Amino acid sequence: MGDLLVDPGVLRDEVRAKYREVATQPQGAFHFHTGRSLAERLDYPAETVDPLPEAVVESFAGVGNPFAPGPLGRGETVVDVGSGGGFDSVVAANQVGPEGRVVGVDMTEEMLDRARATVASLGLGHVEFRAGLAEDLPVPDDWADVVISNGVINLCADKAAVLQEIRRVLRPGGRLQFADIANGRPVPEEARRDIDLWTG
Amino acid sequence: MLEQTGFVDVEIGPEWDTFGGAEGEANARTFDVRGYAFVARLPG
Repeated sequence: MGDLLVDPGVLRDEVRAKYREVATQPQGAFHFHTGRSLAERLDYPAETVDPLPEAVVESFAGVGNPFAPGPLGRGETVVDVGSGGGFDSVVAANQVGPEGRVVGVDMTEEMLDRARATVASLGLGHVEFRAGLAEDLPVPDDWADVVISNGVINLCADKAAVLQEIRRVLRPGGRLQFADIANGRPVPEEARRDIDLWTG
Repeated sequence: MLEQTGFVDVEIGPEWDTFGGAEGEANARTFDVRGYAFVARLPG
């Protein structure tokens, strides 16, 4: 585990369990907001979200809006790290258009199932979802014009490894455009080692 | 950490009260946890 605050494998199991619940019981009670009300809270435009079917939106559990700094460009290649139920991947797919390509990567099988069913129902042939870890993305070197992510890096024990991996898949000049949480007050080390606080 | 990894032109914002009104709001308020957007580029 080295200098890491928590065991990466234990943390992954906790995160998988939490987001398996979001995938299979999206109307359940969680410590975070989900679905359309969350998308509205995070300033996703109504014209982006309203046309999307409930199956796409209901398991959305992001912490911010990676598209807020600016939309993706037509034709861009995109990797969505921790793509969950596929909400941001679908938003990205609509922005890059059919001449672009989106690869969502997630480690939770139930989320991958949901995301694959969603893009199939929408006929989005330029989006695919692959099983993998943020620290070991199933994407070739220098493939992506842009990497997006939403509320995922904070859930990874080794953030430096994740950023190095994102750098590997980005082409030179590519960009990382992501949303995540940050704390405005210092968190005591004891709390930082409390794995329950990482997911709750 | 982004700059240590080799990213440049790091920009932060906007921000959101991500957990306001949620069950996890108390923990979030304790440490002033909010959501932020980040953009960073690799040198061309």
